[in-house]
Amino acid sequence: MRESDPSDKELNSENNDLQTENPGSQDVSFAYQQTFDAKQADDGPCSLPSHLSEKELDNNGSSTCDNGVNIESADAQREATGLTTFEFPVPEEGPQTYVKKVKSELEGASDGNQTEYNSDGIEEPDPGDTNANAEHRECSPRVANAQFNSQDKSDPKGNEILEQRDTVVNRSLTAFSSTCNIEPVESSIIRVQSAVENGNMEGHRPYADSEGKIASLSAVDGVAASSNGRESFEEIEVVDSGLVKNGGLLKRDLFLEKQHQSEDDSSESWRKHKKHFFILSHAGKPIYSRYGDEHKLAGFAATLQAIMSFVENGGDRINYVRSGDHQVVFLVKGPVYLVSISSTNEPLRVLRRQLDLLHGQLLLILTRSLEKCFVKNANFDLRPLLGGTENVFSSLIHSFSWNFASFLSSYTCLPLSHTARQAAGAALQDIADKNLLFALLLSDSKVISLVGAQKASLHPDDIFLLSNFVSSSESFRNTESFSPICLPKYNSMTFLYAYIRYLDPDICLILITKNSDAFFHLKDCRARIEGFLMETHVLRDISNSVARGGLRVEELPGGDVSYTSAPRSRRMGDTKDSTITVKLKAGVGGTAGLWHFIYRCVYLDQYVASEFSSPLETPQAKKRLFRAYQSLYASIHGAPTGAHQMQYRRDGNFVLLAWSTSDFEFLAAFDPLAEKSSSITVCNRVCQWVRDMENDLFFIGGSPFNW
Amino acid sequence: MGCSTSSPAKSNGSFDERGASDSKTMRIKLVLLGDSGVGKSCIVLRFVRGQFDPSSKVTVGASFLSQTIALQDSTTVKFEIWDTAGQERYASLAPLYYRGAGAAVVVYDITSPESFQKAQYWVKELQKFGSPDIVMALVGNKSDLHASRKVTVEEAQEYADSNGMFFIETSAKTADNINQLFEEIGKRLPRPATTQKS
Repeated sequence: MRESDPSDKELNSENNDLQTENPGSQDVSFAYQQTFDAKQADDGPCSLPSHLSEKELDNNGSSTCDNGVNIESADAQREATGLTTFEFPVPEEGPQTYVKKVKSELEGASDGNQTEYNSDGIEEPDPGDTNANAEHRECSPRVANAQFNSQDKSDPKGNEILEQRDTVVNRSLTAFSSTCNIEPVESSIIRVQSAVENGNMEGHRPYADSEGKIASLSAVDGVAASSNGRESFEEIEVVDSGLVKNGGLLKRDLFLEKQHQSEDDSSESWRKHKKHFFILSHAGKPIYSRYGDEHKLAGFAATLQAIMSFVENGGDRINYVRSGDHQVVFLVKGPVYLVSISSTNEPLRVLRRQLDLLHGQLLLILTRSLEKCFVKNANFDLRPLLGGTENVFSSLIHSFSWNFASFLSSYTCLPLSHTARQAAGAALQDIADKNLLFALLLSDSKVISLVGAQKASLHPDDIFLLSNFVSSSESFRNTESFSPICLPKYNSMTFLYAYIRYLDPDICLILITKNSDAFFHLKDCRARIEGFLMETHVLRDISNSVARGGLRVEELPGGDVSYTSAPRSRRMGDTKDSTITVKLKAGVGGTAGLWHFIYRCVYLDQYVASEFSSPLETPQAKKRLFRAYQSLYASIHGAPTGAHQMQYRRDGNFVLLAWSTSDFEFLAAFDPLAEKSSSITVCNRVCQWVRDMENDLFFIGGSPFNW
Repeated sequence: MGCSTSSPAKSNGSFDERGASDSKTMRIKLVLLGDSGVGKSCIVLRFVRGQFDPSSKVTVGASFLSQTIALQDSTTVKFEIWDTAGQERYASLAPLYYRGAGAAVVVYDITSPESFQKAQYWVKELQKFGSPDIVMALVGNKSDLHASRKVTVEEAQEYADSNGMFFIETSAKTADNINQLFEEIGKRLPRPATTQKS
């Protein structure tokens, strides 16, 4: 329990991310360097941060390693072996500025296998292999500065080792921010912690099973013991002080740039935004910034680029930096760098996914062939090619705080009676021919129906990005349009052509073709679809559904009213509800204090969420719940083996309940006073009810994408 | 229907085929080109719907609208209008829209010399890759902003003359010369059977 929670979570989510990223790891292959691998090879599987219970956190003294740098070389093997994490101290010169004190943490930490040193202590992660240790030290200077030649000597060794263990493709390196203590006495305490040990100490259950894990566990013990040895201690110290300096630099640069901005930009406010997103080229040219003028932010972008390329030159990849409340998350996608700087305390996994989506949106507009521009000319300025798309990006970023699809990687459907949805599907089916790749009928980001050509499947993220692109571009609303788009998950290299037409202000028809000449054909198709939907009154049904809005928890069965046009299940209403219904009536929200829920159907890749109603109506409350769901969801997916299948959390704002099975995932928020037993009962009922209503709530087409 | 029907080279052919039944009606594909922000969409919306929306909305890809007008010689012309996006990223896709176009309207903003430069780029592009008998119009939009004019009438007129285009200044905001623009294009279109004006 040494680690206070935030970092733990981070690691965790990190692990997860890695897994998901693996398929694409070749993208970042340039980031791998062998020098790194060696030492880690023997660790085998590593750190698995565990989820600390909130209580534990509290005991620890919550604010944890607030400053840190996480560097990672992507690694195909990571998935198998788990994440290997190293941490480097990155103390700051002026701890007071950014760092929260974590004295209690230090104290608490020492009993938990963690080794701490006053003024620059480091814990060797790798006991068994001194070479590896050397390696480890070797990389640290890279992180901040390549000053320490003495350490570099160890490189060759490291390489040898690496070759010996060529099975290990790669490793991640995590340099964590050490926490600086602001307590007067211990003002320069730095805590360095290896994530490897972390995981082991935490004894993450799912992981403990893996053999490698166990091995590494014992290795860690060895480390802990050896780290007390004088020798290693001193060597490390050197490294450490270097890091101190450089780490400080790093951080200061970030903040100085911001200040600089504010001078320029009249923007004290610029720095106060809670969440920044930047896209820049690997040459440091700004491509997009959420706030501020990209041209004026050129210096800032250059700084980000310098940090990223510095680490990249060392064969690594920088993952994130924590500084105080701020998290700086980096994502490298070929020649495109994406960075978010936020103080929203969202899980790392979530932030990385957001960057990923941002990149997807960029591809949707330009395709991956944008990378060719950079091959031809590294200094290429991408901005002109993105003219007029600010809305698309800002709306995407906005959706990161309201659209569940942004973290669920699923789409949601407009509730519609089964027959109406079938009719809509039939209309789309009817026009399907070789010219048509996909046909979608959307209401904002909600799917009404969709069909796709054989073997072509539309990824939920593509639906999300496409619907964002369409709904954020005003020009589509009034006229028929034919626009080149790219569906990054379908094929990120080529343009497809989208015929886009709003059938009414809420209903948008998108027909996607590979054929750039198909406009008039698709225009005819649209006329046929529109005619059919009018005749069968489906258009009216859809409008009614849009007007009615989504599910409301008050209307769920179990309460007095039920949503639906179809026969509803009464099961929820009948049994043993006396206690529950009393509560229901007493408060706002639904049965047993149910305020909100999300049900995600795993095999359909679809979810349904209730509307934000009564106690959650304010934007702040919505956002708070949204963020709580985000981290809840991240935590049920945080463990690779799906460890936390059921969670029940209570805090001052609400009770959160998460339930994950192989068929569905369910997240719910209750009144903070809700009783555990009754809320679990309600969850069961809601899930049952959703399953009963499946035909109305989800788009079920057998195999949805075939015709 | 299909794109091919409106391509001028072919459309002459197809008009001839249909000429017997309907010699007085012409369908013509018209494309608007020009830098972003010069008011292409505003011109089209003014022409097609009689509207002007000062809050500019960036066109994505291209919008398709159609409008039919009657000319004084009692011919009716149905314009199938491709209102293209001015952004650079669509430049390479422009052939998609101007291929087979019978008429092209190249728009610039009279307050922006850069947009005039861009217009010249489009003219050259059309001369190289467009249909040989395409009717081209050079349009200086935002004539209501004459106070901040940067491109003179003479300059533009001279350029238009030397490139076989006709030139007109319009204002989508005040509707000035909008209909005249399209009528003039209609007049200059090659007539199906015999009469070829311009």
